[in-house]
Amino acid sequence: MKAGSLGRYVLQRLLLAIPMVFILLTLLFLLLNAAPGDPVTATLGGRLPPEEIAQRKEALGLNDPLYVQYLNYMGNALTGDFGNPVTDPRSVVQIVLDTAPATIELALAAMLVAILLGITVGALSGRLRDTPFDVGGRLFGILIYAAPVFWTGLLAQLYFSVELGWLPSQQRAGGFDAPEPITGFYVLDSIITWDMAALGTVLAHLVLPAVTLGLLLGGVFIRLVRVNMLQTLRSDYVEAARARGLREHVVLFRHAFKTALIPIITIMGLQFAMLIGNAVLTEHTFTWPGLAQALVGFIGARDYAAVQGIVTFIALVIVGVSLLIDILTGLVDPRVRY
Amino acid sequence: MTSTSTSGDDAVLEARTPLKTRLQHAWRPFRESSRVSRGLIFSGLGIIAAFLLLAFVGPLVYPYDGTQYRAETSPGEFTSFPELAPPSAEHWFGTTKDQFDVLARIIDGATLAFAVMALAVSIAMLIGVTLGLFSGYRGGRLDRILVTAMDAVYAFPPLVLAIIVSFVLAAYLSPGVPSAAAAVGLVYIPQYFRVVRNHTLSVKEEPFVEAAKSFGARNRTVLGRYVFFNVVQTVPVILTLNAADAILVLASLGFLGYGVQPPTPEWGYDISQAVNDVAAGIWWTALWPGLAIVLLVMALTLVGEGLNDVINPLLRAKGKAGRKIKGMPRARRRDRSRRAADAAEQDDEGLAAKVRDLRVGYRTASGPLWAVDGVSFDIKKGETVALVGESGCGKSSMGRAMLRLMPPGGVVGGQVEIGGTDVATAPESEVRKLRGEGASLMFQEPMTRLNPLERVSDHFVEMIRTHKPKTSREEARAMARDALVQVGIPPTRIDNYPHEFSGGMRQRVMLALSIVLTPRLIVADEPTTALDVIVESQILSLLERLRAEENVGILFITHNLGVVAEACDRVAVMYAGKIVEMGPVDEIFTNPKHPYTRGLVASTISLNTTELRSIGGYPPNLIDPPKGCRFAARCPHVMDHCTESPPELTEVGPEQRAACFLYPGAGQPVPEGVVAPSGDPQVSGI
Repeated sequence: MKAGSLGRYVLQRLLLAIPMVFILLTLLFLLLNAAPGDPVTATLGGRLPPEEIAQRKEALGLNDPLYVQYLNYMGNALTGDFGNPVTDPRSVVQIVLDTAPATIELALAAMLVAILLGITVGALSGRLRDTPFDVGGRLFGILIYAAPVFWTGLLAQLYFSVELGWLPSQQRAGGFDAPEPITGFYVLDSIITWDMAALGTVLAHLVLPAVTLGLLLGGVFIRLVRVNMLQTLRSDYVEAARARGLREHVVLFRHAFKTALIPIITIMGLQFAMLIGNAVLTEHTFTWPGLAQALVGFIGARDYAAVQGIVTFIALVIVGVSLLIDILTGLVDPRVRY
Repeated sequence: MTSTSTSGDDAVLEARTPLKTRLQHAWRPFRESSRVSRGLIFSGLGIIAAFLLLAFVGPLVYPYDGTQYRAETSPGEFTSFPELAPPSAEHWFGTTKDQFDVLARIIDGATLAFAVMALAVSIAMLIGVTLGLFSGYRGGRLDRILVTAMDAVYAFPPLVLAIIVSFVLAAYLSPGVPSAAAAVGLVYIPQYFRVVRNHTLSVKEEPFVEAAKSFGARNRTVLGRYVFFNVVQTVPVILTLNAADAILVLASLGFLGYGVQPPTPEWGYDISQAVNDVAAGIWWTALWPGLAIVLLVMALTLVGEGLNDVINPLLRAKGKAGRKIKGMPRARRRDRSRRAADAAEQDDEGLAAKVRDLRVGYRTASGPLWAVDGVSFDIKKGETVALVGESGCGKSSMGRAMLRLMPPGGVVGGQVEIGGTDVATAPESEVRKLRGEGASLMFQEPMTRLNPLERVSDHFVEMIRTHKPKTSREEARAMARDALVQVGIPPTRIDNYPHEFSGGMRQRVMLALSIVLTPRLIVADEPTTALDVIVESQILSLLERLRAEENVGILFITHNLGVVAEACDRVAVMYAGKIVEMGPVDEIFTNPKHPYTRGLVASTISLNTTELRSIGGYPPNLIDPPKGCRFAARCPHVMDHCTESPPELTEVGPEQRAACFLYPGAGQPVPEGVVAPSGDPQVSGI
């Protein structure tokens, strides 16, 4: 393939992702096996007769030498088998399928809030540098970054749910309020079934968690967009664009703003890690029945097998997302394809 | 945080300068930083100091501690605290459902937070720096594996990682400060690793380290010092931001129940205990611990951000655009008819541009600086005027001012008439229309002047349609192709991206952009400096053809006198913001009048040069310029009154003018016995 073509670039990125997956999974395996004892004993020890524990250990291959376990783990993970929890009859894959839609729905809604807030305030702050707007935007960015998401969430609950009684503070829409589950994405489901009452309830439940999480991510966006905007605004080609007599809004949007967004796409990979971490907290705060909440539950139950499976899945998603972002950058910015 | 590569010279300098000088050097950006940055740092430091006081003096002063649920009212007599009491004189921040005093828990929580923070950051720094040094120094496969591993860890959600680590650690350690610190700290290792490793790697390849190696084992010392000095500049920022993050991760672990052993006071754990209170409308158990987190994290972030502003000069604040400078001559407002009359007159004279008393100023920390201070000249249509002078004499400022393209904090005064518009005073919309159509600017560095995300054709179409909105896309593309052909670029490449062209080709694209709307004036600001000789002569002959065929006036800014001789009709010599001599190119070269011009001409190598001459000394400081002639301090012919009042430009030959007291008419009589130098400066010197 030709140098600089998109296909070649994607292939390159894919090849680079392989050692990343390999090392990440190895690290996780080592980390989770650094704890003494085995998952079955840790979870069920004392609650089941020793024979049954031994039997279960045998069945899970925990009596094999560590390198055999490692090879099995790697092989399974790469073929999409993340194992079985000790404390839950479902497989990890099934758990992911059951809970991930809730998490993704929350994450997407939060991202939407974050992008709208971050890009508008950030770009304006950069343009109106050192004005009260800029100072306000920066302070908000710092303040919201400094506030733990669970605390903001609690304050939001205190005010909007308890004090004003406007919005539900806990859970997703449930029971009769929930739409008929088709995809697991409630917003999508209620639109597919054209159930407007359900859509209202679903959205009402989504508002507080999504805005709480979105504000936090938005704070980071504000800072990034502002700095990038400052950099591109003083770049040579922006000056050159002004020298060609282009209108100020064209200079700002086509020349400064568009290039300012590229590093932001790149940084979204890291943002994604931050999103997951804070999704754990947000789900816990709003008892949102997502994947992160499931992970927290298994950690509480000391279910190593489930934790390992879910974390492995998260790790693969992270590599996938960073790959996706690399490709996206390549699409937008022709320079990086070389 | 990415590393900055430093050139070999800098590296040598940094490795050899004594510590004290280096520290002073490091302090300088701080002193020069904006008030905002310093304000950020100091208010942050203030809050941190308050928290330190709270954490370490608070427990001694405050009557209760965090796990106390009753107080001794009289010897042997205990009164239990109330449950969930709102803030009162007795319990300032209220009490919890476990009858604990909220303020006492916040104080103890602060002590714990500082302990975990300090330990966590130390763990991360120690391991990260050691591994980074090792990995960068060793290189090879081990380095590659470590880098990928660190990247993998870095991409992983820090909180999830911290949860897993504390989950595994719980099997070995009972929950407490060390295990929490380890879980929090391990997460930040990659950041230190990256910085240190990159610096180590870059210095390892420096020639001076190679050289040191050949003399013995000194390279380790050199390496250590170099890396240390570079890391010292980046680590404080990472460190404060990590400390801020550590507080958040610790609180998050506590909130999820993986932090320290309950009921040890910890802000995050306390908030998790308050979840049920919130549903009952009780606010004080959740509000105060959260507020403590917000304040401390914010303070640390402020310090980190402020330090980053100080250390990263790119973000250092400059002035606001358009602020008035004291001493600015008031803009002369003219009515429309006068302006139209001027335009007509200008056309009669065949002028491409008329510059009168042009002043360009910048706001600086030490006061206003007039980079161009009262300059007047004309450029006729079909004429190339060279503007020459040392770097920093105001040439580029003047080029920008011709189109009023000022950086923030810059102002233009005086008069610049181009095609009937006074660029210095006209409203922005009018000046904008002039840019690109009436007058265009060619820049020095072609590599960075085109938008990397847009095709060359986009640049053309966008510009043509801005100025001529009725042009269709296709017509605009046709015009673009014509312009590209004129500068010798195959029109088939119109849809290529800038990075697909070489530097010389990009400059030709810039030239094509400058001429596509046939302006009456082109300001070329050192357009060939970055290019090789062959490309340079191509660009020069293109400009020459434009001048001759399209009757364009060209202001050619350069410090290369060879180019001036080849390509220009007249020369204006600039020194410290003023024109000191102006005349036809032949006269300036064979018969320069001003001592500075003589020095300039003499310092260029020509075939008759037997020795290379240079002008001693440096140009004056323009923030506080000398009262008299600005060249006086360096002038070999300096007289008493040269330092008292500035000389005026005066006729010294046919169409040749110079600002020097050696010639009658400059303002002061020439004292008896003083004779102006004459003849070929190459031979006579100055």
